[in-house]
Amino acid sequence: MPMEFAGFPFLSAILISCLAGFFIILCLPEARAREIKWVGAVCSGMTLALAIYLFFAYDKSRGGLQFVERVQWIPSLGIQYFNAADGFNLPNLLLSGIVFFTGVLTMWELEIRVKEFFALYFLMVTGVFGLFMSMDLFFIFVWYDVSLFPMYPLIAIWGTTRKEYGAMKLTLYLLAGSALILPAILYLFVQSGLNTFDIVRLMQPGTFTAYQQKFAFILLYLGFGILAGVWPFHTWSPVGHVAAPHGVSMVHAGVLMKIGAFGVLRVAMFLCPQGWQHWAQLMALLASIGIIYGVLVGLRQTDLKYVIGYSSVSHMGIVGLGLSTMTVSGLNGAVFQMFAHGVMTALLFSSVGYIYDRTHTKAIAELGGLSRIMPVASGYFIVAAMAGMGVPGLASFWGELLVLLSAFETYPIRGTLAISALAVSALFMLRVVQKTFYGPANPKYVDLQDVPFSLGVPRMILVTVILLFGFFPSLLLDMIETASIPFINGLPR
Amino acid sequence: MAVPWVSDLTLLAAILATLLPLCSFLVVMLFTRSHPRISAGLSIGAMSVSLLCALFLLNEHWHMEKPLEYAGRWLVSGSIEIPFGFLLDPVSLLMLAVVAVIGFLIQIYSLGYMAGDPGISRYYAFMSLFLWAMMSLVVAPTLFQLYIFWELVGLSSYLLIGFWYEKFSASQAGKKAFIMTRAGDVAMFLGMLLILLHLGNLSILEIDSPALAARMSPRLLTLSALLIFGGIIGKSAQFPLMTWLPDAMQGPTPVSALLHSSTMVAAGVYLFERLFPFFFFSPDAMTFGLFIGTLSMLLASTMALVTRDIKEIWAYSTISQLGYMIMGLDAGAFFSGAFHLTTHAAFKALLFLCSGVLIHTFETNDIYELGRKGGRSLKVPMACCCIAAGALAGLPPLSGFFSKGLILEGLADLSNPVWLIAALFGAFLTAYYAFRPIFIILFPREASGEPEVHSATSTSKDHSAGHSSSHYWLMGWPLILLAGATLCLGFLKAPLEHFMGQTALPGVKGIGHPVWLLYTEIILAVGGVGLAWMEFGRRCAQQVGFVEKIPALHRLFAERWYLDHFYGWFVDRVIDRGVSALFTQNDHRVIDGSIDGISRGTVETGRLISHMHLGMVQYRLLAMFVVMVLLAFYFFF
Repeated sequence: MPMEFAGFPFLSAILISCLAGFFIILCLPEARAREIKWVGAVCSGMTLALAIYLFFAYDKSRGGLQFVERVQWIPSLGIQYFNAADGFNLPNLLLSGIVFFTGVLTMWELEIRVKEFFALYFLMVTGVFGLFMSMDLFFIFVWYDVSLFPMYPLIAIWGTTRKEYGAMKLTLYLLAGSALILPAILYLFVQSGLNTFDIVRLMQPGTFTAYQQKFAFILLYLGFGILAGVWPFHTWSPVGHVAAPHGVSMVHAGVLMKIGAFGVLRVAMFLCPQGWQHWAQLMALLASIGIIYGVLVGLRQTDLKYVIGYSSVSHMGIVGLGLSTMTVSGLNGAVFQMFAHGVMTALLFSSVGYIYDRTHTKAIAELGGLSRIMPVASGYFIVAAMAGMGVPGLASFWGELLVLLSAFETYPIRGTLAISALAVSALFMLRVVQKTFYGPANPKYVDLQDVPFSLGVPRMILVTVILLFGFFPSLLLDMIETASIPFINGLPR
Repeated sequence: MAVPWVSDLTLLAAILATLLPLCSFLVVMLFTRSHPRISAGLSIGAMSVSLLCALFLLNEHWHMEKPLEYAGRWLVSGSIEIPFGFLLDPVSLLMLAVVAVIGFLIQIYSLGYMAGDPGISRYYAFMSLFLWAMMSLVVAPTLFQLYIFWELVGLSSYLLIGFWYEKFSASQAGKKAFIMTRAGDVAMFLGMLLILLHLGNLSILEIDSPALAARMSPRLLTLSALLIFGGIIGKSAQFPLMTWLPDAMQGPTPVSALLHSSTMVAAGVYLFERLFPFFFFSPDAMTFGLFIGTLSMLLASTMALVTRDIKEIWAYSTISQLGYMIMGLDAGAFFSGAFHLTTHAAFKALLFLCSGVLIHTFETNDIYELGRKGGRSLKVPMACCCIAAGALAGLPPLSGFFSKGLILEGLADLSNPVWLIAALFGAFLTAYYAFRPIFIILFPREASGEPEVHSATSTSKDHSAGHSSSHYWLMGWPLILLAGATLCLGFLKAPLEHFMGQTALPGVKGIGHPVWLLYTEIILAVGGVGLAWMEFGRRCAQQVGFVEKIPALHRLFAERWYLDHFYGWFVDRVIDRGVSALFTQNDHRVIDGSIDGISRGTVETGRLISHMHLGMVQYRLLAMFVVMVLLAFYFFF
């Protein structure tokens, strides 16, 4: 079996620490909930540490694929275990590490069926990490399904509002997505005639004709787009967010939706650049409708988690808009926004999780005046809401700025539409903040405790990350540029 | 352009001046939230160093040949470069000093005003954030950086206006301020992008240079100027985005003082000053600005005629004075706008701080009640208040007289006399509404005015902390200093004009000095004060204003020309129950409906097919036979 490793296999180490966590948790008895959580924290902490190491160890001056790991697995079908890191997936790996770790900590107070929960949780995240690092189409498809399958039990068992419905809807939608992706992948595999699933080889110019690219692109775009919450295939996402337990919502909105956008980038755009150019107009249209539609529907929601769900639809629209611009800044902005949105929604769901666990309600009308009762918990939510409005100094500002800027350049009308959503998004976020946190304290909740330090850790990490990349965006952008500039320059004109 | 910044005192001072308030914000938020004294001390300490740095910079660069620009790499994405740095020129240095002085005085004053409030740490943290954002905005070298801090100024005023968040009106006002200014910012953002597309960067010096006009077609130039002016309309509370400002008084009074004098609303006019040459290149945009400025000035003046809330009166006066500044700038008289901004900062802060003492002592905002409860007994605040109102009215020799005079001169240079006439009429109204509350408080009547039919039910029950004499003096000496500034600033006109004129601004007109205008201004100001005296001051006065005698007009003014009704209707009917409800229905009915339809269809199809599976052998055999026949046909024919 021919193998190729560039040094220590850090990428596989991430997967191994996830799987190790999975198996150790399976082996521990159900009653040892405390140990299970600690194993979860340690293993997810290791993935985060590895992701941070990779993020800083990546040689930006050299660019390209680094930390390559390649094992021929089924040579007759051209399937190989091929992982690599580049400027597009490193931010996402870092994001997954952050959200995974903070998600485990957010679920620290879980008491029902702890073992199964964490086992499934780890399995889901393994799929996420695998998808982000894989450069092989076959594995990308496998990881995609690995990350989706545990969603159903996670929501249906530990969820809250209309959980069976939410779980069913989400699973069916995402399976519909994979039903579009699989034929497209097989189509590309057959048409290339190279007998390989290797993305690097398949993306060589001239592999596919323009017609093949257009056909495959639209399938892949819709397939992955469903997962990215592209309008009008977005309705699974608010429902799913609401139904899921908080830690799952965090991974779900924070990372899983990014898988969709990342799939569009890594598979559809990498392999079918001409298809991308052909369909970009449509992508921009759907994305800008999604941006404004998400905030407007969000205005009417009465459930805190639905609000966040619709804000995700809007923010993922920004990612889609950035991907459609075909400019360096648009791509930079899109990837930046993936990261920023992931951290921000994770913080939102994590804060709501804390509040819900205390008040046992997510209905905005029943809350109110929480700032007086739990100033710190409210503070976390408010910071995240500010990030959602694109306030400068917080990470998502830069993503939005770059995307809107290049969208305005490429598609003036659609760009203007998207920019005007900025005002509505402020209305929508501030209204939620006002109704939930301001006003006189609700006497029902006066005795509730504010976030103690130990439980505040995941939120503190997330706030720190938001501020760090808000003040020093080039930390992330320089990384993304190493991938986006060669990619845009390599496009056929 | 890396600069060895430690050895460069100017840069060091600029960094310290802008960064220290941020540091105090972070430290207070993270560590000293539960120690109000330390928080206040840190915040004031940081601000005093900032103030010293700002004054040092002003002194050091009093003679300046060309603007100093420092820029370091901050963010590069493709062809877009966003540097971070400082632009030091007379415009920014003067404003920096103004912000620092007023901010510092208000922080001292707040020690007395906010004493006993449970949220002092949060208050000082937000104040520091506010001042950081404003000071960084002032020295921003690119429009990008300016926009970033512009948004942060909006954010921090949101936080401060809604400081007493348990009060519904306060949180509502904060939200309104943020959203209305955001609406303007959207326009500004678009304008910025237009410039970026044509210029390739957003350096303020380059935008101001004539090179831009050469690159953009006149129509695009006008469009981008108008869009950026949209941001100014929002921030400086001009028509039609003006109604957030009077509501913003729901915050603590020192916050209003800061907001109205040198930070939030001043940012809009400051941006205009900053981009003055750019606006100057598009005459259509200038005329539009003149129109908006005049309209806002007149509308706000009429609103100020009727309200009984003392802070609201000063809030309307802010809008109308900002309208004056914009008129002056749009008339092409650069220095007049800049000078009025400076003098206005001092006297408006003074007005609010004096009113703050009154409100703090008597716990009401209603001018009639303040008078009845003995507002005149507070000698120092009332004296300072009179000085400030005089400056607002434009009485010589107070600072407002000189700066407003300059604006009028600028307007007199225009070919169309309409603007000048409107401005003179506005000056008369200003003098009247500035002295109406003064006379009502100074000369209370037992059975005063009309019964409180539509009275503002003393909106701001700020707080009922005890007020000892030490608080009184903490609040007193900022007043005295500001009153001194109001008295003296007018005489600094010549040196300031020289200072501001050093870096050549393209297209600035020479200003003539017609003497008749000077007399007209004085006569109108005195006339306005006289009318106020006739109606409110003299012994036999009824204390009923002339507007109140015309109910229809009174209602129109008191309802703010129904602007708020329009916005309420727009948000509620068009956005909430209109588009938003439509889209929500679409989500439930159309999108989810069709998906559910598909799933139901699948289930129904399954049921239909399941009917064929009856489990009887004869049907199976029949089916087998049919399939065999079909296969036979397929293979053999």
